[in-house]
Amino acid sequence: MAEPIVELRHITKRFPGIVANDDVSLSINKGEIFAVLGENGAGKSTLVSMLFGMYEPDEGEIFIRGKRERIDSPRYATQLSIGMVHQEFRLVSNYTVTENIILGLEPKRKFLGLLPYVDIRKANNDITELSERYGLKINPEDVIENLNVASMQKVEILKMLYREAEILIFDEPTAVLTPQEIKALLLVLDGLRDYGKTIILITHKLNEIKAIADRCAIMNRGKLVSILDVKTTSTDEMARQMVGHEISFTTEKKPAKFGDVVLKVADMSVKSITGYEAVKGASFEIHSGEVFALAGVSGNGQNELADAIAGLMPCSGGSVILNGQDITRASVREHIEAGIAYIPEDRHNVGLVLDFTLRDNFPLRQYYSPAFSSKGVISESAFNEHGQKLLERYDIRSSQGGATITRSMSGGNQQKAIIAREVDMRTPLIIFMQPTRGLDAGAVMNIHRQIVAERDRGAAVLLISLDLDEIMDCADTIGVIYNGSINKIAPASELSVDDIGLYMMGVGKTA
Amino acid sequence: MKAQKFTLSCLAIIISLLFGALILWLMGKDPIAAYMNLLQGSGLMEKAKYAGRQSMFTDFMSFIDAMTPMIFASLSVALALKGGFFNIGVSGQMMAAGITAHILAGFIPSRILVVIAGFLAGALIGALIGWLKYRFNVSEVVSSIMLNSILMYLITFYINTFYINPVSRQSKSIVDAARLTISGFRWEKLKVDIALAFPLAIITALILQWVLNRTTYGYEVKAVGLSPRAAYYAGMNVNRTSLLTMTFSGALAGLAGVSYFCGYLAAIQPGTTPSMGFDAIAVSLLGGNNPIGCVLASFLITVISKGTVYMSSRQHIEPEIASLITAFILTFASCSAVLDRRKKK
Repeated sequence: MAEPIVELRHITKRFPGIVANDDVSLSINKGEIFAVLGENGAGKSTLVSMLFGMYEPDEGEIFIRGKRERIDSPRYATQLSIGMVHQEFRLVSNYTVTENIILGLEPKRKFLGLLPYVDIRKANNDITELSERYGLKINPEDVIENLNVASMQKVEILKMLYREAEILIFDEPTAVLTPQEIKALLLVLDGLRDYGKTIILITHKLNEIKAIADRCAIMNRGKLVSILDVKTTSTDEMARQMVGHEISFTTEKKPAKFGDVVLKVADMSVKSITGYEAVKGASFEIHSGEVFALAGVSGNGQNELADAIAGLMPCSGGSVILNGQDITRASVREHIEAGIAYIPEDRHNVGLVLDFTLRDNFPLRQYYSPAFSSKGVISESAFNEHGQKLLERYDIRSSQGGATITRSMSGGNQQKAIIAREVDMRTPLIIFMQPTRGLDAGAVMNIHRQIVAERDRGAAVLLISLDLDEIMDCADTIGVIYNGSINKIAPASELSVDDIGLYMMGVGKTA
Repeated sequence: MKAQKFTLSCLAIIISLLFGALILWLMGKDPIAAYMNLLQGSGLMEKAKYAGRQSMFTDFMSFIDAMTPMIFASLSVALALKGGFFNIGVSGQMMAAGITAHILAGFIPSRILVVIAGFLAGALIGALIGWLKYRFNVSEVVSSIMLNSILMYLITFYINTFYINPVSRQSKSIVDAARLTISGFRWEKLKVDIALAFPLAIITALILQWVLNRTTYGYEVKAVGLSPRAAYYAGMNVNRTSLLTMTFSGALAGLAGVSYFCGYLAAIQPGTTPSMGFDAIAVSLLGGNNPIGCVLASFLITVISKGTVYMSSRQHIEPEIASLITAFILTFASCSAVLDRRKKK
């Protein structure tokens, strides 16, 4: 019988208004890969954050190697040889790989036996050796800002290993990776287990757990639902327990009735902020009553494409035609007036003015119009009525109604507010950019229903998402973007998830 | 929200006054008497006795005279902050407005002209800062600080060369017909200073409050100031809004300049920038960057700065104690701004 290395007993953690963890008890054995599965907001991150000393539990006890510990800081967690790779990397971007890894634990030598300095050559050698041993190939002298995401993640892992961590926590490590990179990472995790490391893996991707984990704890709304042996449990069973009920992965929808072409994008090219050509000659059409879903791995030009259609970025070539009107060179406002609603990816910095009240955020793109102001003077009553209407019609929860400061609301309700604002403009084209990222299953379902409802109203919908389930769920037509070009366009019924996955990787590009 | 900001500002003031009291007490003085002297010196409390032609009323009127430029200056800072700019160059803008008005008044002695000249001169400097920001992405903090020095030395050079009063070693005085303060006006048996720009300051604060809260331009200023990317997404012309904000902020600083150098004072001191431009930052923070709040905060800070002359003569304390208390208030007011921001996260 394996010995438990981590033991949590009756852990409860409360945040204002919610119980993030409710009486959670579990034990993790040395040398196993232990997955924690749950939806967004199920309390997975909170639970492991307590192991890493970022929060302290309100109730309950933590035992490490059989000894009761009070982990009050990440520093102490590190002393207990616990390491963590966060979702957002914590690296100094203008330092080299080695400098980042040794930060705080620099091997020192003394010049003339007196003046201490960092022995960077020894450090580089150490890192090279470490990276080779664990199959994390990396050049120790590369500067972080020149690395891709997968390599940065390797640096984070090496950072833990350099500190001789035995218990390695990974918070959603695959969320930012491409399928190939995910495969490589899973291999690394497997190798780490062979070296006797204990791995705690937080994820909501069932197939990864199935592929690699030994056991899996399922959390739902802060409660531990069960601990399963991965080998003997089907992914369907895990999914059922994760959501707490049988989930229908599909949104009900009537067959699409396509109307006229609303949006016609022809041979569009867009330069990114840094000047390279992010979108290269993309062409597609969206009809009234059609959900056109654009799939693709993150960073293949989706942002630039969406921004360019909405007018936030200039096109460097090609044309964008909305209902027969050429809007290629129009301003942002002219795009809004031409009839494009846009739910942007970055809801905090772009979609909302977070320090505005909800009431002030609703007319953000229409405040100047006669409905909300006349001769430059704002109509407070129009702001109030509009706010009240949207709050009720779209079921947005806020503590003080329209007077709520938007920053204080939950992410799901913030997104609801943006969607309410944009959908309520009743425009012929609506662009949804990653509309459900970071939201829980209930909110996701709602947004999917809204997308389909807009289609049924007769709007043309452009849905851009990294989430293939979402695309399969909503799309009438699927386009796949790869490296700035649209690689494939086909009716949703003709493509399987696997097909799309291949096109996303650029397969069929030359065919 | 608003109530909370108000509480934080009050807290900052109270803590600062307690600190000040502590220092006074350590020096062996009576803090309560000292603070009462501040009020007396500002014409808010009756002094024990008055010199000829003076009374509590005349003290109060010269207090109003001192407060007027502070209101304009703090409004300038507040508007810039609302629009996402840190206008640290109010001093330079004040001087530029002051000297322009002085020169023009030498040709045509008219108060209206002085006000307009100050407004335009300040606006021009503000616009330059805004333009440097959006054309060359020069931080407004850097450019406005640099302009402070450039303007101060240019004006000093001009005054010392062409416009010096050899006795006072200051610039020549502006003619009375153009001065925005009627100094020593005989009323009954008193000599009263009448700040003609004071009503304009109050009206400006009210207008600014209305513009920020009730107009589309104000809505744009706030959106651009809080989140330029969201403002751009909303279809606003971010550059134009920023440029306008800095122009108006400069114009308000210009009004502060003329009500200071062509009103409260009649001349310009060469070789130094008015500290009011920096105090205005404290005042604006204390007032929660809200125009009405700025008026209230100006009132308070002016009580301290204006009343200090009387306090130091009565209590035999160095007048720097007033600056110290003001500095405390600035510190605590900016602490509360941080506190406020952290709460939101």
